[in-house]
Amino acid sequence: MNDYKAIMIGGSAGSFQVVSRIIAALPANYPLPILMCLHRLKHIRSGFVEALSIKSNLPIIEPHDKEPLKAGRIYLAPANYHMYIELGNRFSLSTEDVVNHSRPSIDLSFFSASYNFKKKLVGIILSGANKDGALGLKSVTDNGGLTIVQDPKECQVPTMTTASMNATKVDYVFSTKQIIDFLLKLA
Amino acid sequence: MVENIGIVDTRNIISAVTDTYGFDMSDYTFTILKRRLIHAINTFGCHSADDFAEKIRKKAIPLDDFLFTVSLEVTEFFRDPSLWRELRDKYLSEISRAADCRIWMPCVTSGDELFSLAIVMNEGGLQGKIKIDAMCPSQKHIDLIKQGGNYDQKKIEVSEANYTRYVGKTQFASYYTLNDNRAEMKSSLLNDVTLAVQNDILNASPSKKYKMVVYRNKLLQFNIPLYEKVIRKLVYNLEIGGYLVIGNMETLEYSEMSKKLQIVNATEKIYKKRVD
Repeated sequence: MNDYKAIMIGGSAGSFQVVSRIIAALPANYPLPILMCLHRLKHIRSGFVEALSIKSNLPIIEPHDKEPLKAGRIYLAPANYHMYIELGNRFSLSTEDVVNHSRPSIDLSFFSASYNFKKKLVGIILSGANKDGALGLKSVTDNGGLTIVQDPKECQVPTMTTASMNATKVDYVFSTKQIIDFLLKLA
Repeated sequence: MVENIGIVDTRNIISAVTDTYGFDMSDYTFTILKRRLIHAINTFGCHSADDFAEKIRKKAIPLDDFLFTVSLEVTEFFRDPSLWRELRDKYLSEISRAADCRIWMPCVTSGDELFSLAIVMNEGGLQGKIKIDAMCPSQKHIDLIKQGGNYDQKKIEVSEANYTRYVGKTQFASYYTLNDNRAEMKSSLLNDVTLAVQNDILNASPSKKYKMVVYRNKLLQFNIPLYEKVIRKLVYNLEIGGYLVIGNMETLEYSEMSKKLQIVNATEKIYKKRVD
């Protein structure tokens, strides 16, 4: 259970409150990096990190291109860039066209993270209003990682979690509280 | 349709490109390059990475076509409107006071940034006062830009919103004509622009040094060793006191050359070359 190297979370509409609850529950010495790709307005570059940081015990960072990934930090995909994890555990960013109407695209972040971390990645999909993230979560399964979706019954908008469950056989369907309990057990 | 390729496929294609064209992509960012190669494989109608590599080795795909297809696009006009406002309100008018003021824009692909800069200069009354040397990876890029770019409706809608946030002097629509729902930028915007093909920025040797180098979101393509070489090239070709503009989520932190530059706008990533 403690072999995981990173946790990646994808979410869109209705995910902000869930993410806020999750990161508020993580202790300041949480040992794994948390990578978050959340749909956001492309032209608003600031404010999101500050809003998430209010209740976080861990530093929340929008990584610059080529920034090395470090444990004990929460990374948020910056506005209007796709966010990738490269072999060697550095971030790369890209201005390629939108995918699933989104930049950052959850699918693209998950593809690169699952390729990099293989079975040592935990992928989590939260509430959202489109299918971005579904194929990304499937790539986590295909690479041997562990997959979790927020229980669609709890989601404000269940499109993303339902699409993910249709795309791949997920390991767990969890409520927000169960996601938090699971993440705390990894520490 | 090819949907994914692996690291071995990618390396085979890189080898084919190096052997055939003498163009080395071995230090390009893996994920970005992989995605661009998948795009190229499908664009050229190849059924696999091996098929694509074979076609390159047989020279069935000209280098110009390859670079046109594989190059990374910027995807919006006036991306980061606040940057263009800064250039308009401060930096362009400052550098325009110098005699023979020139801006270098290497690796121009889709033309969005070039036309954005040309519009800013136009609205600032800087026509004829600043010249832009734009270098494109392929002749096809130049041909497309000279024809006005041929941008789709989606890009124009995003760009119009960006232009509004930039607070331009007119309507963005006044800078293009619509043809079959595709936008062609007005050719008069290129009056102060010289376009030239330069496949590889490391081989570029401009005859002059520049007051400003605009190279936004291009360093994303490179791993750190190549990134370092490219930054060295950019800084070498910048005048003392000249400005280097990169993307807002790019950094020079990992470059030895950063000590030769002073950051003058940390939000928009505008650097000034120090006195040696």
